[in-house]
Amino acid sequence: MTLVDRTRAALDAAIGVYRDTEHATRLAVLRERLDQPLRVAIAGRIKAGKSTLLNALVGERLAPTDAGECTRIVTWYRDGHTYQVLARPRAGRPRQLRFTREADAIEIDLAGISPEDVATLEVTWPSQALRTATLIDTPGIGSLSEQVAKRTWDLLAGEEEETPADAVLYLMRHLHSQDLDFLRAFHDTEVSRPNPVNAIGILSRADEIGAGRLDAMASARRIANRLAADDKVRRVVQTVVPVAGLLAETAVTLTEDEVRQLRAIGERSPREVEELLLSADRFVNLMPELGLTSIERQQLLDRFGLFGVRLGSTLLRRGAASTATELAKILAERSGLSDLRDVLGSLFFERRDVLKSRSALLALDALTRAQPAAGSGAVAAAVEEIIASAHPFNELRVLSSVRAGWVTGKPEVVEELEHLIGGTGHATHLRLRLPVDADQEVVAAAAAGALARWQQRAENPLTDHELAMAARVAVRSCEGILAELRAGASALSSVPAGGLE
Amino acid sequence: MTASAEAGTADILSRAAGIVDLGLRASEAYGRPDLAGRLTATRKTLADPAIHIVVAGDFKQGKSSLVNSLLGVTVCPVDDDIATALPTYLRYGPEFKAELLHEGDPPRRDPIDVADIRKHVVEHAGPQGATANGDRPAGVIVQVPRKILATGLVIVDTPGVGGLNSAHAAASLTAISMADAVLFVTDASQELTSSEFEFLRRAREMCDTVVCVLTKSDFYPSWRTIRDLDAQHLKGLPGVNVVAVSSVLRALAVRANDSALNAESGFAELVQFVSGRVTGGAAQRLAVSAAADVLAVCDQLIAQFETERTVLVDPSRGQQVIDDLTAVKAKVESLRSSAARWSVTLNDGIADLNSDIDHDLRARVREVVSAADELIDEHDPADVWHEIDGWLEARVAEELVANYAFLRFKADELSEDVWQHFRDASGEVFDRLTVYNPAELLAQTEIDHKVDLDKMNLGKQAMTALRGSYMGILMFTMLGSMAGIALGPLAVGIGLVMGVGSLRTEKKRQLTTRRAQAKNAVRRYCDEVSFRVGKDSRDTLRRIQRELRDHYSARADELNRSTSQALTAATEAVKRSTGEREKRLRDLDAELGRLRQLRQQATAVAG
Repeated sequence: MTLVDRTRAALDAAIGVYRDTEHATRLAVLRERLDQPLRVAIAGRIKAGKSTLLNALVGERLAPTDAGECTRIVTWYRDGHTYQVLARPRAGRPRQLRFTREADAIEIDLAGISPEDVATLEVTWPSQALRTATLIDTPGIGSLSEQVAKRTWDLLAGEEEETPADAVLYLMRHLHSQDLDFLRAFHDTEVSRPNPVNAIGILSRADEIGAGRLDAMASARRIANRLAADDKVRRVVQTVVPVAGLLAETAVTLTEDEVRQLRAIGERSPREVEELLLSADRFVNLMPELGLTSIERQQLLDRFGLFGVRLGSTLLRRGAASTATELAKILAERSGLSDLRDVLGSLFFERRDVLKSRSALLALDALTRAQPAAGSGAVAAAVEEIIASAHPFNELRVLSSVRAGWVTGKPEVVEELEHLIGGTGHATHLRLRLPVDADQEVVAAAAAGALARWQQRAENPLTDHELAMAARVAVRSCEGILAELRAGASALSSVPAGGLE
Repeated sequence: MTASAEAGTADILSRAAGIVDLGLRASEAYGRPDLAGRLTATRKTLADPAIHIVVAGDFKQGKSSLVNSLLGVTVCPVDDDIATALPTYLRYGPEFKAELLHEGDPPRRDPIDVADIRKHVVEHAGPQGATANGDRPAGVIVQVPRKILATGLVIVDTPGVGGLNSAHAAASLTAISMADAVLFVTDASQELTSSEFEFLRRAREMCDTVVCVLTKSDFYPSWRTIRDLDAQHLKGLPGVNVVAVSSVLRALAVRANDSALNAESGFAELVQFVSGRVTGGAAQRLAVSAAADVLAVCDQLIAQFETERTVLVDPSRGQQVIDDLTAVKAKVESLRSSAARWSVTLNDGIADLNSDIDHDLRARVREVVSAADELIDEHDPADVWHEIDGWLEARVAEELVANYAFLRFKADELSEDVWQHFRDASGEVFDRLTVYNPAELLAQTEIDHKVDLDKMNLGKQAMTALRGSYMGILMFTMLGSMAGIALGPLAVGIGLVMGVGSLRTEKKRQLTTRRAQAKNAVRRYCDEVSFRVGKDSRDTLRRIQRELRDHYSARADELNRSTSQALTAATEAVKRSTGEREKRLRDLDAELGRLRQLRQQATAVAG
């Protein structure tokens, strides 16, 4: 029985127990959630670029973005057959709202409801990307309007027992004390302790780090690596990826017109361009012979930012790209979006069943604890049993311990352990630290070698206790890999990679 | 505009210096080295006013770039990733020179190579822990040959505040409380965050001149929107304006000597603010205070000569004047004694303050300890220790700033009290001295004016003492040294505890031990902090006491000397022959004329 099946069975049992109570609907929703796409929240301080990143991941400009603080209501974006916007007020029945799609972003007419009274908005939008994950856009924390900030807090660390999101992308600009507070609140206790299993840090607006110099992304990558190695950060997120959100969004929605305009800039001499792009104001106002109106230039800035204009025109001049498709591909790479998709694939989507089950079990555990009923004891025991015995949870637990610094040992041993239990991704080649196209035999040999090593560590009486416990989990992971290899069809690597394409 | 603002500043200061020099010469000519000494000190302050501008803001907002651009030279290291970790003090000097400050009393200064500034200032880079002799670096002083600094400006580049609830934020606020102006730096990428706003609000409470500088306006196309949003947020803080600047454009403008580009960079406005409102304002205050000193000196000399004149004009009143003066002298003597009311008020006040401040500190620390205990009881210290660590440091820092603000407030109050008593007593003396000349009574309004000036001048006395202890080079060290106190070897303890037994059960069993260890560590830390800060406060109060005592004793001595000389002159005047009297009278009238003229000039400077 798979983890999801076991979780579903536990939910079924609970639905039986709580049949005639107010919790019945919630449990039914929880069970439905198991078959729905993974729910990924995008959180971070205000103006960290959350809506922009959401648009980049969807590949369409859906969420409104603006220079001021603009996302004021928690908004869900999910796949569906029709285009529809639903408001869920704090009190009363959900209402369907009218919306228009002007200047790309969706504009929603709240029909006289005050934003304070709306708990969440749900946007249903037929989209390939949303089929893999439901995305949740949140208002920023650290916002001057406290009301807005509180909503984000409610969503991620609310008083209610279940967190609506299965995983979170946390956007940070430069490490700020408030960021960590926020991340901590997202983690809770039972299934895995302070927990870097369901969060990825994103160093957002990465192009701004070097104030838009052409090598800004290299700087950003260096900073992201440093952050990802920081103990405080490792405790709360799995890894840190730099993304230039605006450029990513533009890359996936690039038009031929824009390429033509960038080319006009690229045709000028590098020196002229450098002078022109010294500041945003200059770009808008100087060099009339460029053949672009100031409105067009303003729009280019809105879409690309100064960094994007610099990068795009340079790429075109150097002939690195000539069509919109080619440029879009390079920009997606340079903006860090391609890397982010890879990371999302290996860390979230490949283990979506684990993450979804985790959310459901957490909610069940909290419910049976807070609202005991006749028969709820059995449900609680079932939950406990799944949490304690399911191998994926054991892996997560070891991963948390490693990240929290509970497991100690030689650095290279701990690093091998982290990979082996899937800390850097679920795929076999990542676990064994092999190239993605490694030969079956090489993989088998590596897995067998790892198995022998970790068996020895698990049994060696001199091994530190924590490490020995972890080693037992690692042994089980190796056995799993070998079993799949023997079965021929590797279930692990047949999970579709990527996802948000 | 800038040039004229700078010229205006220089002009005010040189006018003030001019009258101080005149007063100085007069005091020396009339054999009053005591008054001359007072004016010499005034002259020194005018020559090096040390006007402090603190540049504060969150991480990575472009503070160091701003400072570099303001000076038109790269002094502060700028990096994409690594942030400034030590405060840098930039002041005028004929050539580039850098010194590393180490904590201590007085702080040790080691000359360093200008090229090595980066090594010492940025985080992770330099030897930031204790050095061989156990001194932690407390800052870097750089002398820069730039005109904008020549009027005595000191620009302080600070580490990022990192949210309001951090030790750095607290340290910055302490520094701000002593500064003449604050440049709060925020970049044009987003509107002010709640913690930035909160920091600004508190900065505004502590310092009158605050400006919000919006940086990186070259890179963000929508900087105008952000500027307007920020201005909207700042409506509640009177006098805090937003100035948008671009360091990139300014650097180019300086290199190309392009004034149009300079205006475009927004720095023209900022420089004008700095040299006009900040430097100019501070210079104005200094000039007024210097003029007040000259006025006080003139008044004493005039009073002394007027009594002599009274006797010269009408020798029959000689005995009466001498009797009066003798009585006055007795009063002045009592003003100098330790039983004088001002002196008693001062001594009692300091004693009271010592216990008040100490009590306040203890109460605050106790609250922190009990909050920490609660936290530890709620969680497993093994899981949350690294958080408690930061939390505790920030909480303690916050309480220390509050304690310090309390001290500052109370010291101000005391200084005001002492001044009140001294003025009452000395004013009585003064009235007796001047009563012989009805013309002076007519000028009563002028005397009131003088009193106002005096109040301004003297009321600041306690602040001067505080500045001596915290300001300038030491303002960051109180909290800096606090941050140096380790939280104890708990981490090791937890490691040992966790080395054995099964994770879950062992964790539960040892939880009590861990909690006890954690609470112990918190107590040790708080004890150490209270101990050091307590000593620091007592030292500060002692310094304030000494400062105030010396100040008023000197004033009493001056009065005493004035009375003695008046008495001698009156006694001699009675003995003089008519011819001598007339000659002396002519001389005296000439001297009085000159003194009145100087007095008038001083009044004019005082505005």
